[in-house]
Amino acid sequence: MHIPTHTCRTIFALFCAASVAGLLGSCGRDGSDQPSSAADGADPAPLRIAVVPKGTTHDFWKSVHAGAKRAEHSLGGVEVTFTGPEREDDRAQQVALVENLISAGYDAIVLAPLDDTALVAPVRLATRSGIPVVIIDSGLNAEVGTDYVSFIATDNHQGGRMAGQHMVELLEGTGRVLLLRYQEGSASTRLREQGFVDALAEAEGIELIDPGRYAGATRATAQEAAENLLTTYDNLDGIFCPNESATFGMLLALRSRDMAGTIRFVGFDASEGLVKALADRDIDALVVQNPIRMGELGVRAAVEHLRGAQQEPRIDTGVMLITPDTMDSTEARDLISPDFSALDNP
Amino acid sequence: MSNTPAHTRPGSPRVITHAAALLRPFLALIIVGLVFFLIQWHKLGYTTDPTQLARMVTVMDLRMVAIQTVIVGTAAIGMTLVIASGGLDLSVGSAVALCSVVGAMAVRDGWPIALAAGAAVLVGAACGMYNGLLITILRLPPFIVTLGTLGLFRGVAKWIAGGMPVSADPGWLAAFVSPVPSPGWLVVAPGVWLMLALALVAAFALRRTVLGRHTIAVGSNELAAKYAGVHIARTKIMVYVSAGLFVGLAGLLQFARLTQGDPTVAIGIELDVIAAVVIGGASLSGGRGSVLGALVGAFMMAYMKNRCVRLGWPSFVQEMIVGHIIIIAVAIDLWRQRREAAA
Repeated sequence: MHIPTHTCRTIFALFCAASVAGLLGSCGRDGSDQPSSAADGADPAPLRIAVVPKGTTHDFWKSVHAGAKRAEHSLGGVEVTFTGPEREDDRAQQVALVENLISAGYDAIVLAPLDDTALVAPVRLATRSGIPVVIIDSGLNAEVGTDYVSFIATDNHQGGRMAGQHMVELLEGTGRVLLLRYQEGSASTRLREQGFVDALAEAEGIELIDPGRYAGATRATAQEAAENLLTTYDNLDGIFCPNESATFGMLLALRSRDMAGTIRFVGFDASEGLVKALADRDIDALVVQNPIRMGELGVRAAVEHLRGAQQEPRIDTGVMLITPDTMDSTEARDLISPDFSALDNP
Repeated sequence: MSNTPAHTRPGSPRVITHAAALLRPFLALIIVGLVFFLIQWHKLGYTTDPTQLARMVTVMDLRMVAIQTVIVGTAAIGMTLVIASGGLDLSVGSAVALCSVVGAMAVRDGWPIALAAGAAVLVGAACGMYNGLLITILRLPPFIVTLGTLGLFRGVAKWIAGGMPVSADPGWLAAFVSPVPSPGWLVVAPGVWLMLALALVAAFALRRTVLGRHTIAVGSNELAAKYAGVHIARTKIMVYVSAGLFVGLAGLLQFARLTQGDPTVAIGIELDVIAAVVIGGASLSGGRGSVLGALVGAFMMAYMKNRCVRLGWPSFVQEMIVGHIIIIAVAIDLWRQRREAAA
């Protein structure tokens, strides 16, 4: 049979593509398909734990990764794979990722769901397929104990409340305070926003301006939303943003209008840029979580569950309010400039 | 060029070239599958242990890949028709989001699931009709019109949803896209079977019906088709409306997958859809398109995503590989066209 020339060319071209893929493979990180050493009877196959953050662009998740690695080192017999969607509003990608982790046969999944509804079905599927799921950071509209093992997160309402109480102190009880919300469907930030609103409601002289505007998933969308809000509302005395990207976007917008430092500004989460802004007093306070602890406890809970130990349904990882005056304390240093050394020697 | 893909050359019987054209996307899939198998096998130290070999690609893997093919694949059926007619539709992602929001809102407001599903699909058809009307009445390139409606549909979706995802229980539709179907003998989700059935219908329609032949005629040579008595505007509008029905269905399935209508979902999915169609053997200059090839293209992309997770690679590896497969597919297409022109 005569095979048409173009078919041969197709084969050739695809082999070129294939060799590119092969090259990538040889320099890629060693993944999940390591030959199991159980065959030679030395030590049992490591437990493979997948840690799925909401996104991979925020520093926060780097800390979670560091914490997960710390647990991997301290527990032993555990292999952590850290993989997540690039964008924090890409629900479809996170759903597909969890599904692929199920079919890849991981032993457990530690998941920060980026939507409290959309991730329910894949989490239930994982549990039904015998792969326990530990939820970290953000809640899921499902039953703890039956649908997932444990929920390990910051007490977000308390964090928002601390931010609100500090705002009232900063303004000495009177003023107009703007709230830039983060993103609809994100349970953790909704609780922070609620905590903040609740704390302000206790101070009579404070007027809360809550236009129901959302910062969106990235610093860029947050900056845009912040610029629009600062154009619309003047005579502001205070501003609160409930996460890193929203706080950073607002900071950029304030700086570009030469308003940084003139308005009392409380943010949430820490990153290099935000910590520097805190030192420059462009930001008055940051409420910080303990993402390293979150990653560490997440992996630990998954492993202990697999090894048969009962897990608490809810574990609080704590929050701390840091101001320019307290940021040099050892306690604060641990949270705002975390130790990433665990990431360097995988 | 007439109404059938014409790449007959002296010395090669028509049947063989035809079969080769049909098999080309499968060939690409097999090569990609083989390469990933070899990489995985290499990582396992070329094991011959049957249990380890059996675990390399599981039924569960195929179920996941199949369900992750559904949305891009369904939209790609419509896109094949559009591209075969010489058009292009960049508004697919936005229209999918709009239809998913419409479906979710209808369910939330107490409509029966079937009625809500119909509404989502019809809104997809309406989006297609709007594209088709603008293209034919204003005589604008489809690229420009659909670039505009990409913004329009996304905006409408955000507007009616109030900028936030609309959560609603999709009822029996959820089982429709559940990766593990409840009667186990189905193997893959019912939604996947629906996609395959519709693809067969569309492939038949494109080759055997008057509208299908007119579509290819318009895509091959619009002027010649006009002189041959084809109603150009009506054909184009029908093509975009039919494509819209598939986009509407894709939106409905997206709603069922996420159990919510998310106005920010499926951003950039149009590029995956176009890539699937091109990998499947369609020509971006019109006149040729293979519905089944497009599904193979969509399946291949989802398969690579699944393998990247299995190999512990970040997802951008898949994007880098797909990027080059598209370039290679188009290069082959152009190379063949030049050969035909020379022959």
